[in-house]
Amino acid sequence: MYRFFFWVSVLIFVMLIVPTYLEACPACKTLDDPIGKGFNWSILFLMAMPFTVFGVIGSTVYLQYRRANRKSTDQEIIYEK
Amino acid sequence: MAENNVEMRESDRPPLSNARLGVLVLLGAETMLFSGLIGTFLVFRVGNVTWPPPSHIGIELPRAVTGINTVLLLLSGYTMFQARRAIQKDNLKQLRNWLLLTGGLGLLFLGVQGSEWVQLIRNGLTLQSGVYGGIFYVLIGCHAVHVLSAVIWLFIVLGMAMAGRFSAARYIGVDTCTIYWIFVVALWPILYVLVYLS
Repeated sequence: MYRFFFWVSVLIFVMLIVPTYLEACPACKTLDDPIGKGFNWSILFLMAMPFTVFGVIGSTVYLQYRRANRKSTDQEIIYEK
Repeated sequence: MAENNVEMRESDRPPLSNARLGVLVLLGAETMLFSGLIGTFLVFRVGNVTWPPPSHIGIELPRAVTGINTVLLLLSGYTMFQARRAIQKDNLKQLRNWLLLTGGLGLLFLGVQGSEWVQLIRNGLTLQSGVYGGIFYVLIGCHAVHVLSAVIWLFIVLGMAMAGRFSAARYIGVDTCTIYWIFVVALWPILYVLVYLS
C-alpha cells in the first residue's frame, strides 16, 4: 500500500513539473486562437445542457409529486375534522 | 358508495400524467437537438473575429422585422396560456377563440419568416453560400419546422375543441399542446439574440 502511494505521488510530481503533458485537450493549448475559444465556449455550453435538462425534468416531477402529497394530506386532515 | 369509488380513482391517478411526462421527455430531446445546433453556431461565431464573415459583408439580416415577429410569437405564448385558463374554467367558446388567435399568430410568424427568407435568398444568402448561410438556415429553419409542427398540433387540438372533446376535468390535449407551444415560443428569443443580434 505504501509503495502504491509512493509511486502515485511520484507520478503526480512528474506531471506537475512537466505541465505540457497535462494539456490533454488540444483545444485548450490554443485558447488564444479564436477557433479554440469558439470550441471552448461550445464545449462548456454543451456540457451544461444535460444537467439543465435532467434538472428541469427531475424538479418538475418532484414538485408535482410533492404537490399531490400535500393535497392528499390536506384532504385527510379535512376528513378527520 | 359510488362517490367513494370516484374518489378512489381520482387519488389513484399519478400526479404527473403519462402524456405530460412524455411531452417533457420529448422536449428534453428537442432541447439537446437545439443545444447541438447552438453549440455549432458558437464555434463559428466566437471562432470568427468578423461576423458576418468577409465574404458576406454586404448581407444584412432583417433585425427590426424579426424583432416585431418575436413580439408576435411571444404574444402567441400569452394567448395559448389564456386558452389553457379558459378550459380550466370550462369555457369552451373562449378556448376555441384563444386557440384560433394563437394559431393565427403562429401562421403570421411563419409567413413573415418565409418572406424574409425569400428576400435573403434574393440577396445571395443561401444554404450553399458558406458557413454563415449554412448555420443560419439550419438553425432558424429547424425552429421554423418546430413552429409549423406546433401549429399543426394546435389546429388538431382546435378541431377536438370544436367537437367538444375537452372539459375542465379533461383537458390533457390542450395541456400538452400548451407545453410544446411555450417551449417553441421560449426558444425563439434565445435564437433571435444569438443569430440576429450577436
